[in-house]
Amino acid sequence: MFPAQYEDLQIMSHAVVGFPSLEENEKAIAGLAEAGVKLIELQVPFSDPVADGHTLVNACYEALKHGGSVQATLDLAQRVCARHPEVTFILMSYLNPLYRYGLDDLFEQAAAAGIRGMIVPDWPVEEIEPWLPKLDALGLAPILMVTPNTAPERVAKITSASRGMVYVVSRMGVTGHETQWGEKFQNYIAEIRKHTDLPLAVGFGVRTADDLGALAGKAEVAAFCSQYIEWQRDDGSEVAAEKMHSIIETIPQA
Amino acid sequence: MIRSDNGYFGEFGGRFVPEILLPALTELEDLFFGLRDDPAFWQEFVTLCQEFSGRPTPLTPLRRLSKQLGGAQIWLKREDLNHSGAHKVNNVLGQGLLVQRMGKQRVIAETGAGQHGLATAIMAARLGLEATIYMGAEDIERQYSNVFWMRQLGSSVVGVTTGAQTLKEALDEALRDWAASVETTHYVLGTACGPAPFPELVSYFQSIISDEIKEQSQRQMGRLPDEIVACVGGGSNAMGAFGAFLDDHEVALVGVEAGGLSLEDGKHSIRLSQNTGETGIAQGYKTLFLQNDDGQLGDTHSIAAGLDYVGVSPILAYLSQQGRVIPESATDDEVTEAFSLLMKTEGIIPALESAHGLAGGFKRAKQMKPEQNVVINLSGRGDKDIFTVARAFPQREWTEFLQREAVRSTEALAKKRGH
Repeated sequence: MFPAQYEDLQIMSHAVVGFPSLEENEKAIAGLAEAGVKLIELQVPFSDPVADGHTLVNACYEALKHGGSVQATLDLAQRVCARHPEVTFILMSYLNPLYRYGLDDLFEQAAAAGIRGMIVPDWPVEEIEPWLPKLDALGLAPILMVTPNTAPERVAKITSASRGMVYVVSRMGVTGHETQWGEKFQNYIAEIRKHTDLPLAVGFGVRTADDLGALAGKAEVAAFCSQYIEWQRDDGSEVAAEKMHSIIETIPQA
Repeated sequence: MIRSDNGYFGEFGGRFVPEILLPALTELEDLFFGLRDDPAFWQEFVTLCQEFSGRPTPLTPLRRLSKQLGGAQIWLKREDLNHSGAHKVNNVLGQGLLVQRMGKQRVIAETGAGQHGLATAIMAARLGLEATIYMGAEDIERQYSNVFWMRQLGSSVVGVTTGAQTLKEALDEALRDWAASVETTHYVLGTACGPAPFPELVSYFQSIISDEIKEQSQRQMGRLPDEIVACVGGGSNAMGAFGAFLDDHEVALVGVEAGGLSLEDGKHSIRLSQNTGETGIAQGYKTLFLQNDDGQLGDTHSIAAGLDYVGVSPILAYLSQQGRVIPESATDDEVTEAFSLLMKTEGIIPALESAHGLAGGFKRAKQMKPEQNVVINLSGRGDKDIFTVARAFPQREWTEFLQREAVRSTEALAKKRGH
């Protein structure tokens, strides 16, 4: 399940469905689960992922050539959710593939497959709100994004439509580059906490043990995604899982 | 001019962007909504277009060609005579006025054929702004002369190498830049697409075209034209040519899309006809996209780099659904034929994009009566297409010239490096 507020920092990591291949996805996810990752995003690859940096753009492009799709994601979810009950699986997608599949069907089938949450970066809160009763009934948590330039009244609106956790975009820009975790960032986190009791998942630029050290005690979840996909791309899923295990070991415990 | 219902035109439009871009879009919308009904702002824009771009552009009768085709009288709205050589500059000059009011010092733009990028580079140079232009690597190869001038004007041109390396990918990359730079940078979107308020805002500035057509047709024809024809890529020149006529139901509005090589997937850019585009949500808005069953945006093709876009203006998608705009298409072959016909009969060199409008317009004019009038929006001039046209009509002299020029250019570079 999702962590409780102020629980020790957990890692959320990532699978791009079809990257490097559908078979490899299952092995990679098993490796992540064994390494101690408690939350895993299953990303539906998309032709035009505008919130992602080059690592995930290229992974999407490869994934589409290897059978990645909404259906493949639901099929994979069915298998991995059953096999790894200790892991919370989250569907990550841009809106269009889900929209084309049919949102009603998609939500029902994702929930039935065991998916617990959903991150859709180009789906604004106004468009999500009408779906909340259905999503709540299905137990499918929309995890909405707050960014450093989001106005306070909008933070309130976004956090109240979020379920499970709130995704805190650490800085301006797209995924896959460095982030600074100084006072400015801490004030930003404190501002968001004024509006919500939900745990915070911090993403964009979480790439090193130092980043995790800086986030420990400040956020409940660190989204460790682009760097993991780079390991997977360069060293294979097995080595990537070993590296993930080592880095999880470094997280300071309260 | 058409107004959105909270960003929507029927079911199309909206604002589907990562949260990070929302404040800038709201700021832009507030500014635009505050200015668009102010006659003094419109006059400021019109004066700028006169002083800098030579507006109003003429409405030219094609007497010889009309007689030869034997149908309606054909007129060209001469957007090719704008500074920079295309209608794109209208929107860019308008957005320049907004940038000045917002106080931002940097602009970014996506470009397909390079005309919008060139217009943006011109505006940035004139206003002293930093400019970065995103262009698909494939389009850079097709429209290198525009790339050359953008760089000479002081803009940075970034080649985009993801996916099919055309306009769609350039737009994605511009959005990524904007996510990081939005507090200091304005995104000069070049067509009537993207998240609200861009479709409405771009159509507003481009409607200067149809304002002029309306006045000129009264003066030159004594009445409104029977048909207005424009090519449709993203839809900015078409919205510009149609905008002032939406309530004049006696004027038929015809949008000509790129029929490319065939109707096979990936060989054309027809989105408005049945069985081609399907409703989708991407690149910040909802419209008809060429896409597969999984919602992945498709590949496109056209001889014209400015028309092979995967989506289309949500306003045109709506007007086409309502039956107000009639969708047509022209194949690459029909386009080169119309291109050649206009050049040889009337002495005007059209852009390959605009030649789609010509091909569609000529076809329709032939079926009409001599007392009827068709206005075709000649959205741009063809100088930029010299390399593409040279391949469509190969000449030994041209190829030999290029070989000699390559030697001279290489020598000039070596000499510069030697210093």
